[in-house]
Amino acid sequence: MSIKSYDVVIIGAGITGTMTAFQIAKYSLKTAVVEAGIDVASGSTRANSAIVHAGYDAKEGTLKALLNVKGCDMMAQITAQLGVHYKKCGSLVIGFTAKDLEKLKKLKERGETNGVKGLRILTRSELLKMEPNVSKDAKHALYAPSAGIVCPYDLAYAVAENSASNGTDYYFEYKVDKIEYDGKHYTVCAGNQKIKAKYVVNAAGCYADEIAKMIDDDLPFEIIPRRGEYMLLDKREGKAAKHTIFVTPNEKGKGILVSPTVDGNIIVGPNANIVDSKADTSVTEDGLDEISKGARIIMPQINLGAVITTFAGVRPTPTSGDFYIQESKKCKNFIHVAGIESPGLASAPAVSEYVVDILKKCGLTLRKKRSYIETRTPNGNCKLFYEMTERERKQAIKNDPRYAKMICRCEMVTEGDIINAINRPISAHTVDMVKRRTRAGMGRCQGAHCRTKVAEIIAKELNIDISEVKKFSSNSNLLLGKTK
Amino acid sequence: MKKKLVIIGSGPSGLVCAMTAVKCGIPASDIIVLERENELGGTLNQCIHTGYLKNLTGTELGSNLIKAVKKLGIECRTETCVLSLTSDKVLTVISPKAGYVKIQAEAVILATGCREQSRGVLSIGGTRPAGVLSAGAAQRYINIEGYMPGRKTVVVGSTEIAFIVARRMAIEGGKVITVVEPKGAPLGDKKYIKECLRPFNIPFKLNHNVTKIYGKERIEAVEICQLDKKGKPIKKTKQKIECDSLVYSCGYTPDVDIAIDAGIRIKRDTKGPFTKRNFETTISGIFASGNAHYIHKNIDKIIKESVAVAESVAKYLQKSNQPKKEKKNEDNAHVNSENKE
Ligand SMILES: Cc1cc2nc3c(=O)[nH]c(=O)nc-3n(C[C@H](O)[C@H](O)[C@H](O)COP(=O)(O)OP(=O)(O)OC[C@H]3O[C@@H](n4cnc5c(N)ncnc54)[C@H](O)[C@@H]3O)c2cc1C
Repeated sequence: MSIKSYDVVIIGAGITGTMTAFQIAKYSLKTAVVEAGIDVASGSTRANSAIVHAGYDAKEGTLKALLNVKGCDMMAQITAQLGVHYKKCGSLVIGFTAKDLEKLKKLKERGETNGVKGLRILTRSELLKMEPNVSKDAKHALYAPSAGIVCPYDLAYAVAENSASNGTDYYFEYKVDKIEYDGKHYTVCAGNQKIKAKYVVNAAGCYADEIAKMIDDDLPFEIIPRRGEYMLLDKREGKAAKHTIFVTPNEKGKGILVSPTVDGNIIVGPNANIVDSKADTSVTEDGLDEISKGARIIMPQINLGAVITTFAGVRPTPTSGDFYIQESKKCKNFIHVAGIESPGLASAPAVSEYVVDILKKCGLTLRKKRSYIETRTPNGNCKLFYEMTERERKQAIKNDPRYAKMICRCEMVTEGDIINAINRPISAHTVDMVKRRTRAGMGRCQGAHCRTKVAEIIAKELNIDISEVKKFSSNSNLLLGKTK
Repeated sequence: MKKKLVIIGSGPSGLVCAMTAVKCGIPASDIIVLERENELGGTLNQCIHTGYLKNLTGTELGSNLIKAVKKLGIECRTETCVLSLTSDKVLTVISPKAGYVKIQAEAVILATGCREQSRGVLSIGGTRPAGVLSAGAAQRYINIEGYMPGRKTVVVGSTEIAFIVARRMAIEGGKVITVVEPKGAPLGDKKYIKECLRPFNIPFKLNHNVTKIYGKERIEAVEICQLDKKGKPIKKTKQKIECDSLVYSCGYTPDVDIAIDAGIRIKRDTKGPFTKRNFETTISGIFASGNAHYIHKNIDKIIKESVAVAESVAKYLQKSNQPKKEKKNEDNAHVNSENKE
């Protein structure tokens, strides 16, 4: 069997890898993305705060500072192009004491050095006017109008789908375990599967250090897995906060926040605890207690009884404190994109441009494609039924009556939406893949009603037995055999 | 489309309302029943156990009611979902057969039934593997699809359906390791413990909760813990139990999404709409019936209420039709003549 050969292979389909694929797909190159998980956004990109940070947190002069401010600026254009929900809602860092005010002033100065525009210190009454539910003990706040919110996995799907539509190959459940180099080509292996590449981008998130070791390289820092836990509140609480609200940061970091999400929920979290395993995304009683307390400091009256789900994500925290984006010192044409912790999501558009620049410097020829598809798929951006106007709904139903068949009432997801997700360039063939693409099962009943129906639709559309339908991975079958 | 009476939901409440409305003199051709699912009957379709009125199964009761409604010539539309209801009683409705339709109603009955609550389970610590499902979903898989969602099951929550599903899984050859209930008393009728759990030796533990879920892909085990008087876990009582599925049933809540979107006020205690003595909600002409109104103890009570609701609706239509209609026409005439001038 001949081994498929590519110009560029990207390891990891998180936001870093997919955004890089999106940038490269504009050029006439053969590109592949390999991903250990079953889907795009299987790592940190799936579960995080979803904040497009403005860029006042990162130390002056760091790569983080540079790429965060730039990435934040680029976000509006990319999300508009691909039909991703993004809202420039602005962020507030609130302070309670005179000492906090000093810190806020320093943050403002730092932000201005980094190039963040529009930063302003608010008085208590200005703050309360903007956020009536915030703690009455808050005395001042740093307001950053350029900060925003985005759905992180939808952004990753959008850029991945666009790159797939433009010819990028995606390999899932492809867990790279060996990389061979003959001085010219890399062979990227996963078990007995192999593909070849001239250039490799290591965007493996928490596992970037392990990928580096496969070419006998060592990153000049350690990656520490730090878990952050979250609670998501019902949409009925969605008006509790209009901006992303932080408390004044301390040694431990940005701390717990309360923020609206682009889908109209309220998100509360995260804490930051070092965990033994990079894959430990479990939530704990103590963790939920911790974030509840944190949320009440910001908003004492917050209705935490309206929690509809809890989840956790793991940060790839580099001991060096900064992003590390460089060609390997050991092997030519092998680019590490490592230590991409927060604000890795906000920075992703700029990170990917930075990676493309390095590839160019390494000698990769970039020629623009003639027939470049701008949207997610050759058929456009795939609006969901709930996003459509009345006219669009009527048209969608006329074209395909399955758009008139309601499957998830909580989030208003129709059979048409689900069929579309199954048949897109990167097919959604598990219940969770459908859920993250359509929101079926993400509402207040969390799939109690529609999960069986989604499984039935997947089985029918892919012509498989319902017992073969998975929740999210190879061994996560929903059902265990027939009844008696 | 215009209809005197639109009934949302075709469970026992919606069907009984429809039948009674005809008996009270509303012409069958002026009534329409809208049902989101593929079949009429609501939750009754899943309930193949007996215990409904003179010992019918849920499916039998359902099919009797459906026959009766059809015989009266009342139009019932399945696969038809109400997207929105306004305070002027305009419904936006979609269905694969009829597409996108608006219906102007004079009166509306919300008979949307209830939903299983997911809360409680949602704040259990641990992972989120496959094999954690609501009792309703388990019932659907087993009774309608013919598949087992698990073979070694822990059940949390003690509604009637929790007990019935536990029995069903045991009958189908599965093992139900235990049923636990965080509260000090079962949520459902005690007779079900005797009927469903004892014959299969399924242990039932009050004041116990599932506090952690283990397993990366499929669920592998749960942690169970006794709770103190305040409902806090007593840490030293924690025990890990291996299982391949966790079924939850933490009670029901009225399905009031449409009502809330319409701007109807919801009661804190029942979580259903505020109603006057005649079952009218805070929007005139919109009524609530059955479990969509509040969670009823049993089917007999639902049927009794549904009859009363339909009678009230008939009275409402009589009243609003005669004097008001004339007045409205007058108003219109007035406006028209004004416009002409
Ligand atoms: C709790 C938390 C909160 C955060 N909040 C924010 C925020 O508000 N704003 C913000 O900008 N950023 C935030 N971040 C940071 C942001 O989520 C990350 O920086 C970003 O998602 C990193 O993306 P990535 O693609 O580099 O890594 P990942 O998303 O982890 O992707 C790496 C991918 O590589 C795959 N992979 C690993 N090993 C292999 C292998 N051997 N073979 C094949 N594939 C492999 C993984 O499966 C994974 O899919 C937060 C992070 C966390 C955890």
